[in-house]
Amino acid sequence: MLLPEHAYHQPASLAECLDALVRLDAGRAKDDERLAKVQVVAGGTDVIFNMRLRLFQPENLVSIRRLPELQKIEQLADGGLRIGAACRLVDIADSPVIHKRFPALKDAIDAIASVHIRNIGTLGGNICLETRCWYTNNSAEWRNGREGCFKTDCEQCHVIPSSHVCHAINNADSPLALIVLNAVLTIQSAAGSRELPIADFYNKDGIAHMALEAGELVTHVTIPPCEDRSVFIKFTPRKGMDFSLGAVAARCGGSGEQASDVSVVIGSVSSAPIILDEPARILEREGLGDAAIDNAVERIRDEMGEVTNLYARATYKKQITKVLVRRALVALREH
Amino acid sequence: MAKHIMCLTVNGDLHEFAVDDTDTLLDVIRNQVGFTGTKRGCTTGSCGVCTINNDRGESILACLTHALEWNGEAITTIEGLEANSELDAIQAAFVEFGAVQCGFCTPGVIMSAKALLNKYPNPTEEQINEGMAGVLCRCTGHIKVKEAIRNDFRLRQAKSGVRR
Repeated sequence: MLLPEHAYHQPASLAECLDALVRLDAGRAKDDERLAKVQVVAGGTDVIFNMRLRLFQPENLVSIRRLPELQKIEQLADGGLRIGAACRLVDIADSPVIHKRFPALKDAIDAIASVHIRNIGTLGGNICLETRCWYTNNSAEWRNGREGCFKTDCEQCHVIPSSHVCHAINNADSPLALIVLNAVLTIQSAAGSRELPIADFYNKDGIAHMALEAGELVTHVTIPPCEDRSVFIKFTPRKGMDFSLGAVAARCGGSGEQASDVSVVIGSVSSAPIILDEPARILEREGLGDAAIDNAVERIRDEMGEVTNLYARATYKKQITKVLVRRALVALREH
Repeated sequence: MAKHIMCLTVNGDLHEFAVDDTDTLLDVIRNQVGFTGTKRGCTTGSCGVCTINNDRGESILACLTHALEWNGEAITTIEGLEANSELDAIQAAFVEFGAVQCGFCTPGVIMSAKALLNKYPNPTEEQINEGMAGVLCRCTGHIKVKEAIRNDFRLRQAKSGVRR
């Protein structure tokens, strides 16, 4: 599959890049996602893939891979961490400080695709990973065999035909770990800079799944200091190439069965990661004993909402998610 | 569409050529440099047959990266492993252990194995599985490939005269 025609831009600095995002997008109807004239690319493993499928057909690609401002993994004075969006996944996973203090992030990154992909894929790219479904995850020629969808040129969803929104799934792994670690995104544009907790970054809409305006770029991820235990677990049919059928990140303070400040997030069941509130409160009240874990897992179903019937039946996905949460909580207890 | 001039060091030799915005690293290696050992497979990052090594000896998929990103960088392709008409140890191991059948995926598999061995000279079973998970072979299968990788360390030691 050849790439669609486009111009390739390699700005030398972040300021030049942010200017280019505005300049190259000029003349676009403001809220038409399908006609984006400019697309940011870092590693390219997701963007080029989507371009080959003709899901992205931007006139301009702006590369941030070599932007010097986005390359550093910085240790902050307070014990936190600030990671540039263009840092390669492999460099983050191999960094001793991540291994020691943020094990959930290390495990999440190690679980992303294959080492080939992680050698060029970036953290920013994984955070901004495009949502996918069985219909759009095929070539344009294959898709021509039936009508389009919200992502292409029709007002319908093939996953849930009665739906008024796109139900493509958010399959990204690292955001789950970043959410339990209370990470904050720095989002910059030519007009300025803002900070947004990554927990508020995703929407339950397969198309507008990120709180990112035109011209904005995720530039850094700041992770506050963390002494707590944290884990990440996912289930995928074939390691190395498949996206997950279910994934979970969990974190809590205390040791053994004691649990304070519990945070549990599940992914790959919807267009956005889901933060499990009630199960976390149960664990905070009752600890990490077997009975408490049973109680918490029983409550997951209520918080999952509508589970997208994608890549596996919804009943299966609900079940596997429960199993994964249980495993994650047991792993936390034994950490 | 405008052409861009770029240079790329392939297997130690500097090449300079004019590329399009839409050219991937794979297009340039095959069509401009003329090294067709690096194969075009799925072009979507699933099969790994386009694997090359970057200047740090890491495995990179040439189909999923723009040629222009590699301006001024150095890469190694399957053609660059052989030195003085002698196969690299991992190539010799593939031959000895019958890890080659039709051969289409072999360049990608060997470059992935090379990257794995660059990082872990004597890899564990888990490290082999992890490092080779991104490449697919549909005829030899992965058993012989793993055998060859496991024995690469032994062959290299035998070659350098180190007793086990």
